[in-house]
Amino acid sequence: MQNTVLVVGGGPAGLSAAATVSASGFDAVVVEKEEVLGGAPILSGYAKLVPSGEWAKDAIGRMVTRVVDDANVTIHTAAKVTRLEGEPGNFTATLSNGETVSAGAIVLGTGFTHFDPINKPEWGFGTFEDVLTTTQMEQMVGAGEIRCPSDGRVPQRVAILLCVGSRDRQIGREWCSKICCTVSSNLAMEIKELSPETDVFIYYMDIRTFGLYEDKFYWKSQEEFKTKYVKARIAEVTASGDGRLLVKGEDTLVKRPIVIPFDLVVHAIGMDPNEDNPDISRVFGVGLERHGFIARAEHYTNSCGTTRQGIYSAGAAYGPETIDDSISQGHTAGARAVADLYALVRKAG
Amino acid sequence: MAIHEKSLIEPERLLQYDDLVVDGVDVSGHWNTMITPRTLRDYDEDFEKTIQSYGGGEYVHRCWQCGSCTNSCTMYAQNTQFNPRYWIYLTRLGLKEELIKDKDIIWQCVSCNKCTNICPKDVRPEGVMKALAHWMEDEGITEKSPSTHFDEEFADQIFKTGRIEDSHVLMHFFKKTGQPLMQGWLVEFGKRMTKGLPIAQMLRMGLNMLFPPKTKSWGRTGEVLQQYVREQKEAAHG
Repeated sequence: MQNTVLVVGGGPAGLSAAATVSASGFDAVVVEKEEVLGGAPILSGYAKLVPSGEWAKDAIGRMVTRVVDDANVTIHTAAKVTRLEGEPGNFTATLSNGETVSAGAIVLGTGFTHFDPINKPEWGFGTFEDVLTTTQMEQMVGAGEIRCPSDGRVPQRVAILLCVGSRDRQIGREWCSKICCTVSSNLAMEIKELSPETDVFIYYMDIRTFGLYEDKFYWKSQEEFKTKYVKARIAEVTASGDGRLLVKGEDTLVKRPIVIPFDLVVHAIGMDPNEDNPDISRVFGVGLERHGFIARAEHYTNSCGTTRQGIYSAGAAYGPETIDDSISQGHTAGARAVADLYALVRKAG
Repeated sequence: MAIHEKSLIEPERLLQYDDLVVDGVDVSGHWNTMITPRTLRDYDEDFEKTIQSYGGGEYVHRCWQCGSCTNSCTMYAQNTQFNPRYWIYLTRLGLKEELIKDKDIIWQCVSCNKCTNICPKDVRPEGVMKALAHWMEDEGITEKSPSTHFDEEFADQIFKTGRIEDSHVLMHFFKKTGQPLMQGWLVEFGKRMTKGLPIAQMLRMGLNMLFPPKTKSWGRTGEVLQQYVREQKEAAHG
């Protein structure tokens, strides 16, 4: 029996899975396709995380350091698993860097891919310089200055459009990406903090700041940071003659068309299934659910399971997920893997 | 197609030319009716702050448009044009022109405070209605109500002298609201005052303080009011 767990993906879920495996006295091997560990929060340059308010590079950085400094964890970056053979308790994975890994169980912390708003051309991303995504805006916040990319002016008005790449049958995204409402209200506060003269408007269909995020983010941004929430699904973003942008749509609550000038428009982009999921599904022999995320096993007694025994998953690989919950699920998946390996050892006697 | 439902459209948005020829075709009068678009073209970020500067409007920014205020509103039950939720939204986005269109009904709030009791975000909509009415008075959009004149006169005197003088309040109130100073009831009031000695008058006032008098001929008025409220409730809720 192998006492090694292969963790695929070095983001919040994978890093916590590896840490749990190691803490349980087993060895972990982390395979990350990018050059650096940390996953989306690091690769996309997130600013302050929800809900801790801690900078991503500090918080996720600690998770990376914990795993890198752990003698029981082996790390392969810039590598993918290209072939998998074997069965629970005795898998052999071949990596793209030519190495092989023998492992008793596998945790897929393969995460998601940000929606590319070029697929909603009517909202101006890719056409106008001053139309950005939430991740680009996070990077701007990280850099500490809110400016229009086109000419460097301080924006008087910023519009954040929610549900870009979520809840939209037209583009086959029939899911809520769960965290964008909270992230957007957090971003609105960060913008106001850095640029007090900027007014932030959030265009929404619903506000889904679930659980304790309600008052901590939604109410706070509205009541203390004067974010304006406008109920309108935007039809299109166009250029006005004076270098600004025009946001067009129907204000649902006044039942009127709107054409409002803005300096910056931010797309609150959703979470797509990892673009590599077809490959991941083929290589690991795990099923995908109907939206293209990793299919979850029966959850009540097979937490963090997939359609294949011995292979577990966690976090945004299963569907849109928060960073905190991805971390918790990573721990669970790591513990499941270790526990099932113990069971195999006992059975073998 | 000719437009028959013109009553649904604000008159200023209807365009019609008595004499108009388009591409050689005479489309005079009825046939060239057009409607100007109702597009909202800008927000006024400062307007919310203006309303917040009036007593009662402080918490308007908390609103998330659930509509509890309008649902519970006494006036909405009478007239569905009376919509606090909508006016709060217009206030937040600074859509002043839209608000002014409703200037003749906004002041009709009866301050029953059902909205304020039910509001999940503690916006205190009743206060917002008051703030809006006061803003409209200040801007000259609506005339000051007699009660506003009275309040102002009352407060002014307190500010100036720390107390109020009834006769002064009345005199100035009459002046501001365009009423004659010598009103029949006032003349009669003065006449009767002189009939008794001031000592007797003071005694009566003192007694009234200790033993609040009951309104004369109140009779069945209370019962009738109760019945009216009951009937209104049944009519509204079945």
